[in-house]
Parts: sequence; C-alpha cells; structure tokens
Amino acid sequence: MGRGRSLSLEGSAIDTLTIIQVLVSGILLGGIYAVISIGLTMIFGVTRIINFAHGEFLMLAMYGTFWLFTFYGMDPYVSLLIVTPAMFLVGLLAQWSVIQPILGAAPLMQIFATVGLSVAMQNAALLVWHADYRTVRTSYSTSVLEVGGLLVSIPRLAAFGVAVLMAVGFFLLFKYTYLGKALRAVAQDRRSAMLMGINVERIYLLSFGIGTACVGVAGAMLMPMYYTFPTVGTYFVLTAFVVVVLGGMGSMTGACVGGLIIGVIEAFSGFLIAPALKEAVYFVIFILMLLFRPWGLFGQRGAEEVGLK
Amino acid sequence: MARRGMKRRTFLRTAGAALGAAALSQALPRRAAAADMKIGALFPLSGPMALLGEDMFRGAEVARMMINEQGGVLGNKVVWAKADAPDATAATSEAERLINVEKVKVIAGSYSSALAFAASEVAERNKVVYWEFGATADSITQRGFKYLFRVLQLGSNLGDVAADYMAQVVGPTFLKMDPKQMKVGLIYEDTLYGTTTGGAAVARCKEYGMNVVLAETYSQKAVDLSSIVLKLRSLRPEVMIATQYISDGILFWRQAKELNFNVKAFSGTGAAHGLPDFPKAVGDDANYVLNSDPAVGLNTANLTPRAQQELKVFRERFSKEYPGRTPAVHATLGYLGSMVLFKHVIPAAGGLDPDKIREAANQLDIADGDTIMGWGIKFAPPGHKNAGTNLRAYSVIMQWQEQQLYVVHPEKWAMRKVVLPLPTWEERRAGKK
Repeated sequence: MGRGRSLSLEGSAIDTLTIIQVLVSGILLGGIYAVISIGLTMIFGVTRIINFAHGEFLMLAMYGTFWLFTFYGMDPYVSLLIVTPAMFLVGLLAQWSVIQPILGAAPLMQIFATVGLSVAMQNAALLVWHADYRTVRTSYSTSVLEVGGLLVSIPRLAAFGVAVLMAVGFFLLFKYTYLGKALRAVAQDRRSAMLMGINVERIYLLSFGIGTACVGVAGAMLMPMYYTFPTVGTYFVLTAFVVVVLGGMGSMTGACVGGLIIGVIEAFSGFLIAPALKEAVYFVIFILMLLFRPWGLFGQRGAEEVGLK
Repeated sequence: MARRGMKRRTFLRTAGAALGAAALSQALPRRAAAADMKIGALFPLSGPMALLGEDMFRGAEVARMMINEQGGVLGNKVVWAKADAPDATAATSEAERLINVEKVKVIAGSYSSALAFAASEVAERNKVVYWEFGATADSITQRGFKYLFRVLQLGSNLGDVAADYMAQVVGPTFLKMDPKQMKVGLIYEDTLYGTTTGGAAVARCKEYGMNVVLAETYSQKAVDLSSIVLKLRSLRPEVMIATQYISDGILFWRQAKELNFNVKAFSGTGAAHGLPDFPKAVGDDANYVLNSDPAVGLNTANLTPRAQQELKVFRERFSKEYPGRTPAVHATLGYLGSMVLFKHVIPAAGGLDPDKIREAANQLDIADGDTIMGWGIKFAPPGHKNAGTNLRAYSVIMQWQEQQLYVVHPEKWAMRKVVLPLPTWEERRAGKK
C-alpha cells in the first residue's frame, strides 16, 4: 500500500541549488534546536539536573507570547522583553519549590520530580487554556529572503541569529564576569566552589533562572513559526536532549554546534532517505554518542554523570 | 538552613493540600438521577488530538441538550459518562472503567482510529455497544464485531474520492490532461488514519495509471517538513493529495509557501483540511484548497425538508452554545451520530439492552438525503466484510473559498463552483485572493 516507499528520483530536478537549499533549511532548523537547547544545557551543566520539564517551560513561554499578542497586540519579538524576565522568575520558583528540596536525593528522584513537574504543567495548561492550537500570525510569519535562488525563512533566520547572540553572550559571561566564573566553578566542583566562598545555593537558583529565561527567548522566537498547545513541549524536548548530549552537557558551544548538526542531518535524511526516517537517523547517532562518547563533542569528560559531584 | 527548609516545606504542603482539595471538588462526578439514561462518551479531550475530540464532543453535546429539551429518550434525560482517552492505552482503560464502574451499555466515541480500534475491542468483549462517530480506518469494522456501529464512511473512501476527483475532474477539465499523464504526490501521516486513507488514495491513483512520483509517510509530530517540501518541489507533481492532522497540515502549508512549492490542485482527506483552524492559522492561503470529507457547506436543496430544518436548527444552536464557532465536519458528525442514536435506535430498541440496540441498528433504514450531511443510514449487516459501517455514507469534495468550506462535487450537493488551478504563491502574494 505504498507504506513509506520512496520512488526513485529519476526525472526530478535535483540540482546543486536544491541540495544547497536543503542544507540552508537544515542549518536554519538547527538554529531553532540550538536556541531551545541552550537553556537545557546550562541547567544541566551547573546543577546536574536533567530538567524534563524543559519542554513545558517552552510551552509556557510560547503561551505567554501568544497572550501578549492577543491582548496587547504585542509583536513576539517585542514581547521577548517581557517573557524573558517572566520566565527567569518562573525558573527561580521551580528551582526553589521543586529542585532545591531534593538536591541531595538520588538522581532517580530528581528525574521523577522534573517529570512530575512536566506532567503537572501540561495538564494545568490544558485545564486553563484548553487543547486549541494557538498561533500568532504576523506580517513576517511566512516572509522569505531570496538570496541567489535560495529561499531563507525570515523568522527562522531570526531564531538562528538569536542563538548565535546567546552563545556569544554566554561566552562573554563565562569569561569576563564573576557570575560566569562562579557558574563554571560550581559546574566543575560544587564543594570546592563552596570552599571558595561561592554561595552555591544562590548559583543554583540563578542558573535555573537563566536557563529558563533562555527557553523563554526560544518560545518568543518560535511563536511566529509554530503554534502552541499544552503538549507542544513534547515535540521539541526530545530533540533538545539529543542536541545537548551530542554537544556535550554543559557546553554552550556544544548546544549550538550540536543543534546545527542535528538540523542538517534531519534535513538531508528527510530529503535523501525518507521523511518517515528523518528523526530515526539522528536518534541512532544519539545512541552511538551515548555508547562511545557520552560527554559529547565539547563537554568535559565525566560531565555526563547526573547528580552532584 | 533547616529553618528555611522548614518554612518552605510547610508552605509547599499547605499549597499542595489546597490545590488538591480544589481539584478533588471539581473531579467528583455528578450522581446521575435514577431515571437518567447514561451513555458513555469516549473522546480524546486532552493530548494531541484534543482539538478534534473536543469539537466532535461539542456536536454530540448539542444533540444531547436538544433531545433532553424534547423530553429525553423514552422519557429519560440523557446523561454522558465522560471519558478522556488521549491515547490508545487510555482508551482501553477508560472503556473498562465505563463498562465496569459506570456500568454503561452503550459507548459513543471517539474520533481517532487508533482509539476506536482499541476501545471497541473492550466493548465487544463485554457485549457493550460501541457507536462510532468519527474514526475511519477500514480495519475497525473488519473484525467481525457484532456490537460495533460506525456512522460514517470508511477511510479508504476518503482517499478514493480524492483520487477520483483528481483523475476524473481536475485532470481532464482543468489541466487538459489524461490521468495517465498526470504526476501526483501523496503524503500521509504515519498512524492508522494516515496509512489507511493515504494508502487507499495511492492505490486508486495507480489504478488510474497516474504517475505517483511520491508516496511517503511522515510523523505527525515533526517540527520541520522542509525536507519533504523540497523533495516534492524537485519532483514537480501537478497535483497533491495529503492526509494530515492539524498541526502538520498547517506546518506543511506554511513551509510550502516559504519554499515556493506550487501545485495546480491540492486535496486534503479530512482532519486538517476540514477544520476551521486551518484557515484560522494560514488565513487566505487556505483558499482553493480541496478537501475530501463528509459534507459541510452543502447545497440543501436536495435534502429532505425535515433534514433542511434540522440542519438550520443545529447550526444556530451550535453557534449559540459555542459563540464564535461554526460546526465543521467533526462537530456535525458528533451531532448526527448522537441524534440517530437518541431519536431512532434507542427508542426502537425500547431501552439500553445491547442486543436490542444491535437489532434496531441493523434494521435502521434512513434514505439518502434525510440526514444533515446528505447521506442515508444503513449499516452493513453481520457477515458483510465491513459489518457495522454505514454503507450509505460517503465523502464529497469541498473547497475552501473565502475561508469557508463549500461542497463543489458531486453536483447533487455542490453549493459553489470549484475554482482551479490553485494560484501560485507569487500570485497569492500579488493579491489574488
């Protein structure tokens, strides 16, 4: 019955332009994955908590952007300025109420806690906002930039640009500020950091806040392109985990590079092999990564262990 | 440190208790009065299919309200025993709960083929009637079940009708091409609904000798469909048939616009392309897209006067109960299926005894033109390959015009003339609405 069988591509116009277009689409998709994963890798890098509710924070940010657009006519890129700090506070709250009490507990407990948070948030959203698909239609939602025959989606390009900016921002933060150094110190060795006079509990709070603020940015950037509904987080969170593992848990550069690699792989597998298998290909890579190089491309060896050191 | 921890724990505990109490008070089921007629309602009301499940349930709910205002069924008010089934596992357990705890004898549902397949199995085992409004996969009624009835047509019909339209009308009339010269691309989502309907469309296209350049499945959860769009673009089909759920349907159309993928005609086969959420998301870009589905927006001249009146009353009541919404395909199916049960089947059976209901359903004979979707109702008898499916139901071809669905084919139900070929994205940008 033609189940996923791809017919031969003879007689088709696969020229270099199309191949480059696939590459460009892949890179732009990678930008989206990167912008979502930066927050996740940040949280994991510092607190060693795998935040399974990451997708739901994204959902929350997307809903925030949607409601600001619906009630105040605020453009998603402008509501970024409100959603980001709001998500920072949400992150602080989540860390204080859910994570902090169980920091000393077994890693399995921590996983359960964030999974529980994830389910609770999904259903709370369903209760309050119902299952409808909400989308934001802006003048540039489907705008395209044409560059020599190549078509570049503008909202995707913007998301890509933001991912780059965030990576650069974090690089500067880590290298030149006290906060950045404190974050890195806690990520390396919590006890020594405490001995150095760093308020570790505060650092945890801040890193969760910052990580969630990052996903707030992602939510605002995604709204012009996607639609939000209570379970939208689940569509993105698995890929975010793959990106974080590939790039190295705790590495910002890793999140960006990992995102790009996954995006390009997905685009080409979908085009050359079969759309049904495009996710399968990068999940295979995910498994191989976990088997042979679990600390990822840019991560510290040993950084992949959950729980405190 | 301990002090702070204590304060936090107490706060969380009290907050948790308060929330729990509030939630519980909402969750306690209303006790049905002794003379109420309790019917199970199994739909996806949460999760990815919730949008459509809820819409179908709205239609059913309008039917219930209306019948209760007319004195109920056999003098008893109808009450739903509601069950939420976001996936097949929940469908099975909820069906068990409805049967064993709520003690229903009839379960109505469920919109999704995957859910219906699972839940009806439970119902059949327990000799409970399963009354399906919206799931189309052929295999559902091909298991020889005795207590299963499906009010609408088979999924393969959706696919066949779309393929027929492309080959018989679009090709010769608008493209001046013989089907054998036409290149067609088909994509379908990879669950039971997609593979049944899409698979049928592919087979039908091949029967016409059309050149099927692409016939691919993809996951409905994909966040990016650009690789499929680019693949299709490089293959240059004249027409496309797509079997998509709402989120992927919207995503695909948006990315087709971004990547400048044009076809002369595009038909959906239910789900995405029959929902008002489609034009809500893509605006005027939805115009001129075709859809194969049971009829909404049909020419009522060929309905019986009774059905004409019923349709008018239904639409008004629906918009009154749910301001801002008009009933689309799924809501109408929910209403139609429920009304048939309330008005014809249960009274003929004299109650909720499953065997009597079964008999009454098998004897049901409603002529073509006497339901609000234009068909008649006659269930395939036991022993038939598709026993339990309504053999008089069929899908028609509709087209979005001015962001509303109108039937364009067949002539009998056509409300408007079809406008083809589809404008290119450039033409749309230039302002051709």
